[in-house]
Amino acid sequence: MATPTVSKSILDSDNIRYDASARTRWRLGFDRVIGWLLPLLFVVAIAPILSLVYYISARAIPSLSWQVITSTSPYQTDAMGVPIIGTFELMLLATSIAVLLGLFGGIATAEFLSERTAGWVRMSANLLVGTPSVIVGYFGYFTFVIFFGWSLSLLAGTITLAFFMTPYVFRTADLAFTSVPSHIREAALGSGARPYQYILRVGTPIAFPQILTGIFLAMAIGVGETAPIVLTTAGGKIPPQTLFSPVSWMSSLIWQNFAQAPSTGLPTIAFQAAFLLLVVVVSLNVVVRIISSRYRRRLEGLYA
Amino acid sequence: MSSTDKLSGSAPMRKRTGTVGMGVAIGIAVVLLIVGIAGGYELGTTLNKSSSTSTIQLTETGSSLLYPLMVSWGPNYTAYNSQVVLAPESTGSGTGQSYAELGLVNIGASDGYLSNASATSLINLPVAISAQLIYYNLPGISAHINLNGTILAMIYAGAITTWNNPLILAAQSPGVATQLSAISNTIVPIKRSDSSGDTFLFSSLCYMSWSGWPYKYSTSALSGSPWTGATGNSGVVAALQKTQYSIGYVGISYESTATGLTYAAVGNDATLANGTYAAAGSNYVLPSATNISQDANLALTHLQFSQYQLALSMILGGTANGAINITLGGGGTLPPTGETPYPIANLEYTLIKTSPTGTTVTSSALAATVHFLQWAISYGNFAPNGSPSAYIDKVNFIPLTPEVIGYDQQELASVTT
Amino acid sequence: MSSPDPSTPEVREPLPASGPEETGSTPQSARSFLARIVPLVPALIPLGIMVAIVIALVAETGFTNFGIEFFSLHWDPVNNQWGIGVFLLGSLITAVPALIFSMLIGLGIAIASTTYLPRFLSQWLDPFVDLLAGIPSVVYGIWAFIIVAPYFGSQLEPWMVMNLHFIPGFGGPINTSGLGILISVFILTLMALPITTLLIRDALRSVPRDLWESGLALGATRWEVVRRVAIPHGRRGIFSAAFLGFGRAFGETVAVAMIIGTATVLPKNVYDIGNTMAAQMFELLDSAIGGTGSPQFLAAIAEMALVLLGISLIVNILGRRLISSLYTQQIQGL
Repeated sequence: MATPTVSKSILDSDNIRYDASARTRWRLGFDRVIGWLLPLLFVVAIAPILSLVYYISARAIPSLSWQVITSTSPYQTDAMGVPIIGTFELMLLATSIAVLLGLFGGIATAEFLSERTAGWVRMSANLLVGTPSVIVGYFGYFTFVIFFGWSLSLLAGTITLAFFMTPYVFRTADLAFTSVPSHIREAALGSGARPYQYILRVGTPIAFPQILTGIFLAMAIGVGETAPIVLTTAGGKIPPQTLFSPVSWMSSLIWQNFAQAPSTGLPTIAFQAAFLLLVVVVSLNVVVRIISSRYRRRLEGLYA
Repeated sequence: MSSTDKLSGSAPMRKRTGTVGMGVAIGIAVVLLIVGIAGGYELGTTLNKSSSTSTIQLTETGSSLLYPLMVSWGPNYTAYNSQVVLAPESTGSGTGQSYAELGLVNIGASDGYLSNASATSLINLPVAISAQLIYYNLPGISAHINLNGTILAMIYAGAITTWNNPLILAAQSPGVATQLSAISNTIVPIKRSDSSGDTFLFSSLCYMSWSGWPYKYSTSALSGSPWTGATGNSGVVAALQKTQYSIGYVGISYESTATGLTYAAVGNDATLANGTYAAAGSNYVLPSATNISQDANLALTHLQFSQYQLALSMILGGTANGAINITLGGGGTLPPTGETPYPIANLEYTLIKTSPTGTTVTSSALAATVHFLQWAISYGNFAPNGSPSAYIDKVNFIPLTPEVIGYDQQELASVTT
Repeated sequence: MSSPDPSTPEVREPLPASGPEETGSTPQSARSFLARIVPLVPALIPLGIMVAIVIALVAETGFTNFGIEFFSLHWDPVNNQWGIGVFLLGSLITAVPALIFSMLIGLGIAIASTTYLPRFLSQWLDPFVDLLAGIPSVVYGIWAFIIVAPYFGSQLEPWMVMNLHFIPGFGGPINTSGLGILISVFILTLMALPITTLLIRDALRSVPRDLWESGLALGATRWEVVRRVAIPHGRRGIFSAAFLGFGRAFGETVAVAMIIGTATVLPKNVYDIGNTMAAQMFELLDSAIGGTGSPQFLAAIAEMALVLLGISLIVNILGRRLISSLYTQQIQGL
């Protein structure tokens, strides 16, 4: 994408500045001042993160160790092994379903629907993105746990979380395919490509980094969700054995343990889980960055 | 702005896609949805067999007060019986009751007694004794002030607004009364934002103590009140510590976290009639192991009364002159002579099904549950030498009294696996 | 000029579901008919999910009719009063200021990042801001309750009362616990910030380079180019940012539930405790499904959820109208 140049205005060169009118000097001065003030706003965004990360790490790191993270023993209260496995399994299943639904849906919307229908579909996707997760969780409880009779299980949690994550993937796939440059699209179709050939051979490679970014972002958002999982799963002490077993989810662990009395040692578990989640989220973000920057160079050539 | 040219031959057909095509697509989507729903139902009923692996996992959910005890019980029970693992969760007493009713978990934990348990084939099994403390943040006063249910109800209902209210002063000993009379600040009550068994307990106390209590009793009774709410017991403690002239109700497990705060002595003799109070110094009880146990036993006898849906030993002022006439049927019992029960004590209940139901409460799971609960009311509560077990001490609870254990054994015998 | 900037989307004809060798003969048209339908099905998935959610919620309400009093200001379940007006207003008075602040700050950060900062700096600072998006809400809530609230209660709010009391709503008694509307707006701003910043940054970045540089070449300062060229060009993206940011702030549940103090009366000033619909639903779910809840409780919560969805729908429709009207303005302007 075109990166605006950071060069200053031509007015700012020496030979103009001294002869400039008062108004021009004011304009230049204003620009310079803004140029120093606006970046300070970064502090507003970054200071809270630093404070938050420091606070969580300070409470979590002293008691964390490789042993704590990998232990799945039911005899150890602060063993993180089982929550990590449970979270990993649930995320894997939910992401697979969300990617399946979202990818197919997004591509179909971008390529096959008329503008009017696509508008309605996109609006429902946007609505879903903005829905509080507690509503999705409540829906999941009512539909899967009670109505379908699945009880509090890995399956109920998976489908609910997948429903929650699908709109993000959907929107990303939709956006990615609509922003394939039209001259490339027309060239492909004009050369006689069938629609599925266009999607597979031309659209996907171009849209791939953006879609991948969207998937990782959906994962980052999904892994931090509490309400949908608390309402559809029961906590487990051993890794899930069937689709209908209880499963331990790290965000639930945080919610349930942070408010307990410190003498029980339980808040430490909450902070440990919070710290691990932060690590996961940061890693996902880093991966997203890497993908974006690697493929950005590749795509630069596409745009005239 | 370029627009793609229409590809030849496709223009007239695209118009048809607009209406009939959409209709057929929606039809197919609906069919898929119905098939999906039917399939999901099918999946739930036929394929949901419990795993036949050797480890049985008992899911427990509910009261956040009982949760730390369950967490420390779990591994130790597994050490005792390696086939069974306990998976506790803290989601609130209401959820615990509801999930137990629906057979979604093996054990539902609740701070409040579920009165119509038999209707859903559940039994209430007390497994520990807890109490509630009334903490306050009064700069300059370090003594325990005297309060009772009526005063507390009036504070939380907004009928008493300042600390030097004459009704409060009348309940104090002379020294404390002088100190308190100088404090004309507004009282800042703190409540729980989340649904909580502590609110259930506290609102029950208020409900039974004052006829003017507007909020009845439930896990979210105070949600209609205008007071500041905090999440969790630790939230209430933190809010109390930060807010001067505040008052709040906290579970006894959090006693060690309440630095800088003092708890009140709570009167168990609510002889109030039209504003007159019991004379200073009468029956204001500080929480202690003995006092709480006595109260728990009284609670147990009330479990038999169908009119008392609350397993609190609200010792009301008898039927003598000046007793409150409350809708619960009025009157109550005076404590046996020599006993000084602390009024806000409660039994922590577990709810279990009486026979296997559904996919979670299977026969083997129910048998394991019964075995676990028998362990809990014996080894869980008592160390081999008869003193309270380490688990109970760690969460500051009181071990069960023999009467309660007897009641539990009786109930457990009624479970058919 | 075929860069895919989101501000001026071209009209893309949908793909014909079959190849261009289409004629009108029957067997092929039947096949192509089916081929046209099949791709439409997956596209209806979000619609399907939305419909399923609404159906489930409506079923759960049991069709209890609370009447118009559902929007009154009296919430007292015990005495059978189910007015959610306080929560509705609470959601609005926390989400709207949070939106405004996050848009302003997001605009500032995006402008700084695209215009004023050298590339190597913005490359490192942008990911930091994006990181805000991934932090779980419960972690935000813990941090806000334990670290931020005491600071607010003991330092910031007394200072504000002393110096800003002339602004209506900023005077008056403070709640020394620090919980309430002010801290909720602060946290919601932080949570909406990464979204608004990202979208505005994308909108500004998609301004064609030649447009940008021609502005500078004509003698405008960077700020003037931003104000008069880039922002108008990226209007659609900026408005999308506003609507998405609002959606986030409006629907945030867990973090708000922990720091807003859960009142049931309207706050008297910005420091007072309040409540939002999402927070109230989350807090009371346990009571509603528990043994002590009345069936009307569940119905009230389900209807609150429907009201929330309804408002999101209205905001979304308005947003689409606005954005597409901006688009037509742009076309006409050519």
